[in-house]
Amino acid sequence: MSRFAQVWRTSTVRLTATFIAIFVVFAILLMGFIGWQSSVQIQRQQTDDIDREVRLFQRIEATQGIRALAFALNRLSSQPGPGVYYLGDAAGQYLLGNMSDVPPDVLIDPGVYSFDYDRPDPLGADAGPEPSGSRGPDGGPPPRRSGVAVVKSVELNNGMRLVVGRDVVERRGYSAIILQSFLVGVVGIILFSVVAGGVTARRVLKRIDTIRDTSTKIMSGNLSERVPITKRNDEFDGLARNLNAMLDRIEQLLQGLKEVTDNVAHDLKTPLTRLRNQAEGALRDTASPQTKEKALETVIAESDKLIQTFNALLMIARVEAGAPSGALSEIDVSAIVADVAELYTPVAEDEGIEVATDIAEGVTLKANRELIGQAMVNLLENAIKYAKPEDGSTGKIAVSLKRAGGSVAIVVADNGPGIAEADRSRVLERFVRLEKSRSEPGSGLGLALVNAVARLHGGSFRIEDNGPGVRAVLEVPGS
Amino acid sequence: MKILLIEDDREAASYLIQALDEAGHVTHHASDGETGYAMASGMDYDVLIVDRMLPRRDGLSIIESLRAEGDNTPVLILSALGEVDDRVTGLRAGGDDYLTKPYAFTELLARIEVLARRSSPAEAATNYSVGGLSLDRLSRKVERDGEAILLQPREFRLLEYLMKHAGKVVTRTMLLENVWDYHFDPQTNVIDVHMSRLRSKIDKGHDNALLHTVRGAGYMIRD
Repeated sequence: MSRFAQVWRTSTVRLTATFIAIFVVFAILLMGFIGWQSSVQIQRQQTDDIDREVRLFQRIEATQGIRALAFALNRLSSQPGPGVYYLGDAAGQYLLGNMSDVPPDVLIDPGVYSFDYDRPDPLGADAGPEPSGSRGPDGGPPPRRSGVAVVKSVELNNGMRLVVGRDVVERRGYSAIILQSFLVGVVGIILFSVVAGGVTARRVLKRIDTIRDTSTKIMSGNLSERVPITKRNDEFDGLARNLNAMLDRIEQLLQGLKEVTDNVAHDLKTPLTRLRNQAEGALRDTASPQTKEKALETVIAESDKLIQTFNALLMIARVEAGAPSGALSEIDVSAIVADVAELYTPVAEDEGIEVATDIAEGVTLKANRELIGQAMVNLLENAIKYAKPEDGSTGKIAVSLKRAGGSVAIVVADNGPGIAEADRSRVLERFVRLEKSRSEPGSGLGLALVNAVARLHGGSFRIEDNGPGVRAVLEVPGS
Repeated sequence: MKILLIEDDREAASYLIQALDEAGHVTHHASDGETGYAMASGMDYDVLIVDRMLPRRDGLSIIESLRAEGDNTPVLILSALGEVDDRVTGLRAGGDDYLTKPYAFTELLARIEVLARRSSPAEAATNYSVGGLSLDRLSRKVERDGEAILLQPREFRLLEYLMKHAGKVVTRTMLLENVWDYHFDPQTNVIDVHMSRLRSKIDKGHDNALLHTVRGAGYMIRD
């Protein structure tokens, strides 16, 4: 029962039921119309038949005389079928025909009438009109036929009354057949729709159940579970594919989170351990005042570095959460890029690195000034750290800002050793520091922040080969 | 200087009070917002140091009320919220400077000393001079002992800021904030490089250096 209730509650079933109802109503209307039309048609045909016969008889009477008419009438009367005939004299008295009795009104006034009749049914009999009560060939009472007839009565030229008609029972029988098939049809339609609807609903429910089962498994912790996809390629498969893509993304994010947690554990615990060791060293009784002071200075330096790492992590987290610090506003990117390049050029020059700039003027963007500035700083600090060619030639950094199609590209390129292709996307992750840069100062968060800033602005960040060196491209859509 | 510190973390407060005392300042302390507001409006202080998140009354609302009453005592806001929009909200509420926790004491000290000076009328001066060095803000000319020194626009602003606060320590982040208008922590010694260039322009060839490096704190220009 609960299963039925559950099935009934589903929107599929309710929808199916509604459609069945609409379908049935239309079927009834349509079949009713057809039935009505056919009965009208049959009726018209009967009246036409009657009219034609009447005219035929009138012509026979007019051209060949009353005998011929009597002969024709007798022949038709003796045939089985729906035809009823009556010929009376001027006073309406029965002369011949298979009906021996008609209501007086019919004979008095020519016209169209409908009345109950009773007549012998001349099955196999060659006899003409037989008086009521005569014996049939088998000796039993002669078969009789009664019912309702539609007739037309006319007055012949010689004053005789001719009544020609048709039994309507046959017509009614026909209507009954229509009605019957109509009922059978409707019941059939209802049964079929219920069965088909039920099967459809069950199939839909089954698919939904599969999705629900999968999600239950996932909720209980099995993240590698996926919604099965059938070969039908229908809407459910579309939904399943979307769900699976979503799950892939979630799994990826969780994986990233796990990696970050591991890295945080490593990259924050190491300096914390150093911090603790230094503080312990400073407390040691044997330590000289100079050693103590040096140890304490190291403690401050280490904690400053930790704070920086922590700030960078928080900033990435906030940028990634899509909560821009300060709403995005129209800013002059050219000025920012030029500013930061100017800020860092002396630093680079002190390291023996040449900085060249190619900054398009007046480029504005809907962006966050601080974040774009910070991203530029990270890119330049990175470039200054690595723009040391392996062949010992002069380090070079090229900063450029260009409009490219519908976006703005900030490029910081160096001629250092570069990054192997396999590592290029990895260095954008948090705390990823390549083997050769382990010895360099830094938190491993710089490029991760640039990446997050790019994403916040709906853009992209990628590392390309500068042959040799790194070409860091920050692309943000806009003017 | 007479300072009011409104801070609910007692340990942080007692450390600050002691350090400010050693730096020669008198510090009063309030540990909740209501008391702090009452003290700030009842007495005259040179600088207020206000924590943003306080029991009983929010730090920003204290500042807003004081400003509404026409009290223009300089305020340094302390906060664990360090995003740019937090800073903007703080300054919009009437704060004069914003420092994110955790901070170095030298940074805080440098900032409140500069703040307290700001309330004095020296603000609007059109030229500064320290020793034989003079800077004219209108003609943008810099001279030392009558000899013109050519500075890049950014170097001019750097020197202008230092001379405006002559005799006071200015930290690297203060320079980055006020001269370059950026609020991030540079990983490298970017400010030091600019300072050494400036130093070579104004002190080179002179016996008495005017631009001094204050170890563990920042820079100072003085005679």
